[in-house]
Amino acid sequence: MPDESLQPDPDEDLVARARSGDTRAFDALILKYGEKLYGLVYNMTSHKEDTHDLLQDIFAKAYQSLPRFRGQASFYTWIYQIAVNMTLNFLKKRKRRSGMSLNELDSGVLQDPALIDSSHMANPEKQSKLHELQKRLNEAMLSLSEAHRTVVTMFDIQGIPHAEIARILKTSEGTVRSRLHYAHLHLQSKLQDYWE
Amino acid sequence: MKPTVEEIGSLLALKRHERPEEGYFDDFLREFHQRRRAEETVKRGPSAWWKQAKVWFSNPGGAKWAYGAGLAYAAAAAIFLLVPEGQQAQPLPPATNVGHEVKASAPVLEQLDALDLRPSTQGSTGEQEF
Repeated sequence: MPDESLQPDPDEDLVARARSGDTRAFDALILKYGEKLYGLVYNMTSHKEDTHDLLQDIFAKAYQSLPRFRGQASFYTWIYQIAVNMTLNFLKKRKRRSGMSLNELDSGVLQDPALIDSSHMANPEKQSKLHELQKRLNEAMLSLSEAHRTVVTMFDIQGIPHAEIARILKTSEGTVRSRLHYAHLHLQSKLQDYWE
Repeated sequence: MKPTVEEIGSLLALKRHERPEEGYFDDFLREFHQRRRAEETVKRGPSAWWKQAKVWFSNPGGAKWAYGAGLAYAAAAAIFLLVPEGQQAQPLPPATNVGHEVKASAPVLEQLDALDLRPSTQGSTGEQEF
């Protein structure tokens, strides 16, 4: 991820057009960041319908808030901030809801027909083992605190650098590294029984 | 045996290949715009349509007036064709003087005096005679 302070926002033109009411420009922004944000929200909620509804709400919020977007951060950072905040708020509400059981959550992302893994389709045996391991990994992910799950999703799954995560979460890089360290320890201990 | 942090990282990195199904974002965009339009209509209230029509007609463009005139003509034609003939408004006939006068009736006692109250000599049909 390039340093924001040195580079102009690559979405400047699209954002300016979207702010002046060009809905096609905002569509282009949705198509550009939709998949990444889907990955972020899905890996944090582990629920397909919740992900869809949240993603709709995130882009609706961004569209409404666009007139207030001053360009101090890049559009990418800004919309990630909206997505992370809304997802964390949603998870807090979901935790409080008594009706939501763990059975309703997707236990294995790779078993979800809405998602397609194109990397290991060739070897069925390897695919099967990987599925089992992924299932355990997803369960371990769900046992992480929301703050830890957020940094693991952004760093390990989405490949966002520490500095960018710190900007999105409005925290220090040290805090991001510390959360990652403890999250990795937790995942290691959860997976040790299944690791050959 | 515990996996290393690198191994955990590699396993998690596989999730980068996960994508929503093809065409997901086409439907997503459609729903997004439907929701947005619905929210805007609710926010603006019932006068929104009237305001939009006013804005539309206030902008220059002869074609708009042609559309408007065409719509008005179509609406008038539809009313003419759809309303049954029997229900069409009939012109009222001109009012005529019927010459009807309301006369004041005579007092009740005078009306009683005028009645023939003498006993009749002939029995009426079905009347019993003793």
